[in-house]
Amino acid sequence: MNDMTLTERALEATEIKFAARDVQVYYGTSHAIKDVNIDILDKTVTAFIGPSGCGKSTFLRCLNRMNDTIDVCRVEGDILLDGEDIYDKKVDPVQLRAKVGMVFQKPNPFPKSIYDNVAYGPKIHGLTRNKAELDEVVESSLRKAALWNEVKDRLDSPGTGLSGGQQQRLCIARAVATSPEVLLMDEPCSALDPIATAQVEELIDELRGNFSVVIVTHSMQQAARVSQRTAFFHLGNLVELGDTTQIFTNPKDPRTESYITGRIG
Amino acid sequence: MTAESTNSGTSLYKTDARTKRRNASEARFRIYGMAAVGFGVLALIVLLTSVLGTGLGAFRQTFLTMPVALDAATLDKKGNRDPAEMAKVTTIGYQKILEKALIAELTEQKLIPEGMSAKDVGGLISKEAPAQLRNKVLANPELVGQTITFRALANGRIDGYFKGRVTMESAALDSNVSPAQLELADKMRAANLLGLSFNWGFIFDPDASELRPEAAGLGVAILGSLYMMIIVLVLSLPLGVAASIYLEEFAPTNRWTDLIEVNIANLAAVPSIVFGILGLAVFINFANMPQSSPLVGGLVLTLMTLPTIIIATRAALKAVPPSIKDAALGVGASKTQTVFHHVLPLAMPGILTGTIIGLAQALGETAPLLLIGMVAFVRDYPGAPPEGFLDPASALPVQVYNFTQRADPAFIERASGAIIVLLVFLLTMNILAIILRRRFERRW
Repeated sequence: MNDMTLTERALEATEIKFAARDVQVYYGTSHAIKDVNIDILDKTVTAFIGPSGCGKSTFLRCLNRMNDTIDVCRVEGDILLDGEDIYDKKVDPVQLRAKVGMVFQKPNPFPKSIYDNVAYGPKIHGLTRNKAELDEVVESSLRKAALWNEVKDRLDSPGTGLSGGQQQRLCIARAVATSPEVLLMDEPCSALDPIATAQVEELIDELRGNFSVVIVTHSMQQAARVSQRTAFFHLGNLVELGDTTQIFTNPKDPRTESYITGRIG
Repeated sequence: MTAESTNSGTSLYKTDARTKRRNASEARFRIYGMAAVGFGVLALIVLLTSVLGTGLGAFRQTFLTMPVALDAATLDKKGNRDPAEMAKVTTIGYQKILEKALIAELTEQKLIPEGMSAKDVGGLISKEAPAQLRNKVLANPELVGQTITFRALANGRIDGYFKGRVTMESAALDSNVSPAQLELADKMRAANLLGLSFNWGFIFDPDASELRPEAAGLGVAILGSLYMMIIVLVLSLPLGVAASIYLEEFAPTNRWTDLIEVNIANLAAVPSIVFGILGLAVFINFANMPQSSPLVGGLVLTLMTLPTIIIATRAALKAVPPSIKDAALGVGASKTQTVFHHVLPLAMPGILTGTIIGLAQALGETAPLLLIGMVAFVRDYPGAPPEGFLDPASALPVQVYNFTQRADPAFIERASGAIIVLLVFLLTMNILAIILRRRFERRW
């Protein structure tokens, strides 16, 4: 029985969620991402590591078209979500972002109540028919983000009044409330203390059961702890992509080795 | 080895030359700052004392109180109490009745001085008083035949005497008032026939002619200003906010938007009289809107206020942290949803402050209104909106200007009084701005 579930997982994990082909990103005249080809698997945590300014956050923001908000940013190449080009003219970024949720570096809850923070996504996407359903979604999202027990008695108090770690988990709850298929996390723990970081990491591991998670991180330990696959970016290039254990124990590229041993970065 | 000897030449207890210089420059700067603040406060105090000193008098007015017999034989010859018939009796008829009533009262109290003519005694009463009595009677014809207690405005010179503006010496040289009349007024005051009381008429009555400063009020001007503020608010807030949101959140950055931006900044700096000329050319001469109307005034002031509101609103929108926008976009909100659900509510305090500052600026604006005919002498109240927006009206700052243009010294007091009313309105608006800002900010 146990074995069967394991095989099922393994099968699912080979499904490709995102496929990027020859992706180029330009900020005005500067070439920020060069020829990136990457497959991101479903129900897997993929970590993007690399020194500051290597383009990992930029590439992450391409996956839900958050770069559209930057006027000078231009994306070339194909990024396919379940085989559909997300940069196709017919694609509305609003629908895409409902499928591909995002958690940002700094916790950024809305200056509204905890309840409204989580309920906002389902409300604007019309995911619930009535208040009871919405309550349910809010509760389950907060439970998924391991925040329910801490806030269930004060759902009406402002989200901005929570501690940093709680705020970040609230943002995760907000992101999962729209039941996305992919969750992008841009250095979600950089503003958190070690205890909150541990909580968020634990959470990421649980979320893997339902979503494909892509996490950008500066901490190699974190990448090693939470991810199954790791991609190393350097100067806008995807240098190496592989199983996390392989990247950290037996990197193929000398640049990857230099980075993980602390010689560049 | 002693403790001192371990110091290698520099002791923390001694200030070195460099630190002294730095401290001195800081002290100098503090003095400059305090001097600047002190100068500002002093200027404000001087301004307020001078305005309040001259203007407060306008809120108190001298009235004569006496029983007036409304003689049916003079006022309603046919005896049918028909207002249309009674309207044939002009103010001259009422003036005689008032004069007679005053003389009768004074004779009874044995106050009439030797050799004073009936005309001189009647001169104590304002020329406006008969008109007020006439209005009162026409409004209520049943009063005819009765004896009522009537509070008549005193002549402006008599009023000036009790406020220190007119003296026995100046009266001797004045053809409008004689020292004998002033003496009589003194006696009447002692007999409680005459006294000063709060002047509601100054706030609610319309303007009066040059010869009747005692009757001049701000009613039409306040109403005109109110109408204009309504028009400015209704037009400039939605237009300004919509323009700002588009420019700040939706417009692409290119040469055109840059051009628009520069022009908005320039518009904010255009002298207000230029807007007046524009209003005259476009609204009155081209669009044939009525002169002196609050509608034209409001439109001109709207043009003037828009840049202020746009600049303030854009600054408020810019100040909303981008992380909030990212968060909204990240959960799949559209641009419009992001703006209206998150950015606009957070920018609201700033927008409201900007709007109220713009309105306050518009409320105090005089120059453009002079050009579109609001400087005219208007005695009729404008009607109720919306038709009233087309009726001639005055405006508070223009009324101040008008008062200062008149010869009778009593108008100096009226002008300052009008300034006080204007300042009270401005202060109210600023307090409102602060309250609104607090309200919106306190929510989170």
